[in-house]
Amino acid sequence: MDNLLHVVQYILNLGPSVMLPLALTIIGLIFGQGFSKAFRSGITIGIGFVGINLVINLLVNNLGPAAQAMVDRFGLQLQVIDVGWPAAAAISWASPVAPFIIPLALIVNLIMLVTRTTKTMNIDIWNYWHFAATAAFVYVVTGGNVLFALVAAILREIIVLKIADWTAPMVQGFFKLEGISLPTGSTVAYAVLGIPLGKLVGKIPGLKNIKADPDTIQKRFGIFGEPMMMGLILGSLLGILAGYDFAKITQIGMSMAAVMLLMPRMVRILMEGLIPISESVREFLQKRFKNAGELYIGLDAAVVVGHPSVIATALILIPITIFLAVILPGNKVLPFGDLATIVFYIAFIVGSTNGNIVHSVITGVVLMAAALYMATDLAPLHTMMAQQAQFAIPEGTTLISSLDEGGNLLNWLIIKIFQLSWGWVILAAAVVVGLIYYFITRNKKAIEQ
Amino acid sequence: MEKDKNGRKIVLVACGTGIATSTVVAERVKKLIEENGLNAEVIQCKMAEVASKENEAHLLVTTSILPKTYSIPVVNAMGYLTGMGSENIDKEVIKYLKE
Repeated sequence: MDNLLHVVQYILNLGPSVMLPLALTIIGLIFGQGFSKAFRSGITIGIGFVGINLVINLLVNNLGPAAQAMVDRFGLQLQVIDVGWPAAAAISWASPVAPFIIPLALIVNLIMLVTRTTKTMNIDIWNYWHFAATAAFVYVVTGGNVLFALVAAILREIIVLKIADWTAPMVQGFFKLEGISLPTGSTVAYAVLGIPLGKLVGKIPGLKNIKADPDTIQKRFGIFGEPMMMGLILGSLLGILAGYDFAKITQIGMSMAAVMLLMPRMVRILMEGLIPISESVREFLQKRFKNAGELYIGLDAAVVVGHPSVIATALILIPITIFLAVILPGNKVLPFGDLATIVFYIAFIVGSTNGNIVHSVITGVVLMAAALYMATDLAPLHTMMAQQAQFAIPEGTTLISSLDEGGNLLNWLIIKIFQLSWGWVILAAAVVVGLIYYFITRNKKAIEQ
Repeated sequence: MEKDKNGRKIVLVACGTGIATSTVVAERVKKLIEENGLNAEVIQCKMAEVASKENEAHLLVTTSILPKTYSIPVVNAMGYLTGMGSENIDKEVIKYLKE
């Protein structure tokens, strides 16, 4: 046993770029892929990690000092860099608990399908990373408790699937996607407050009948939809605020344009490596639930973010979020990497306001402000997580966070529960209440039938 | 439809992020091109970037809802994700690229 522990510890110490390829090769083999296919995807994922680390380096080394200079000159306290979801995903997959997440999340989904506690068959393995993120955060918060980390991930998954079920009629009604639900960790988190708030905003007299045209907005704000231009502009702007000379302003502008373009490219490599496993899981689930009655196929919310009103709302919220970051007292997050992800946050809000851009923007402002505060709150943890994953974050000087997971309500709440020493009491109470609710509703249905 | 000098066609593969679902589709389309000996190239991008790229492209394959109308033909590739009707999408993509 001791020897085994030593071996495990040794492999963990090799870092994620070695550990994850190993783990994924094994998972691939379990799903019946041949060794060469499984090994190849494992290596591809490892390469994705190496690439992401290079880009994080570029980002932090350029943006870190500029943000610091800005703090010194203007007292603008924006020294937490929003590294964006691509980096957050890589950091999460790099956690020692992450390899367990793929089989675990699959099993939880299976159990929930069999017990009819969810209708969503989540074939979107890529977005398992949100569960891995919660596990990784809780792993750090509890000082390396694997069990707590996995329980937290399960909790997150259950909530995500339930919200996906709840919002599926809207996905069908507003986005016209039949038989699809969207269990994407970021999108569903904004549904919790966003959907009721969006409806409330729609009831305010005076605002009720105001509308905006998505086409005009797409034309006017189109530039915010192009990541490299955003990078160039934001980078240069920060250079100016940091008091750099012209040469350095152009350099930081170019570096940030490069980060915005390169980061997603690197994640794409990671994604390529995950495709074979994701296909195996899809086939596995579909074979078993072919005749299980009405089920939703759980896809990435990426399939709805192209909606004109969603794009238009997000484009307006990008400059607003930057503005909020500057004016909100106590916020320390400098929005950057996740500005392009705002489309995901507001997708369900736009759906609930029936595509009303004005109502969605107003709701979005409130939620983005909350996201900034949560991301500020989780920054030290997020940074620690990145350091443990051996990503190149300079010790002490720079903090990182992400709007996507750092500013995610579900993730934040679960972490807070595990941070409390009596968190277990809340958790147990929640489970009991959940079970009672489940049995009551089930009995009700049985009686009605 | 206009082709570039060596008759090579450009396929835009787009989704909300230009990362996740579009990678699945891009890999599949690349394989189709290879297996059928088609003269085409895949460019993967975000839905929001399609507008600035459509002039140089011949076909848009996407998993996402369309934000506006485009001047090039569009193939809905949602079936590649759900696994339903993938063969029909294959046929449609090949048809446009052989034209």
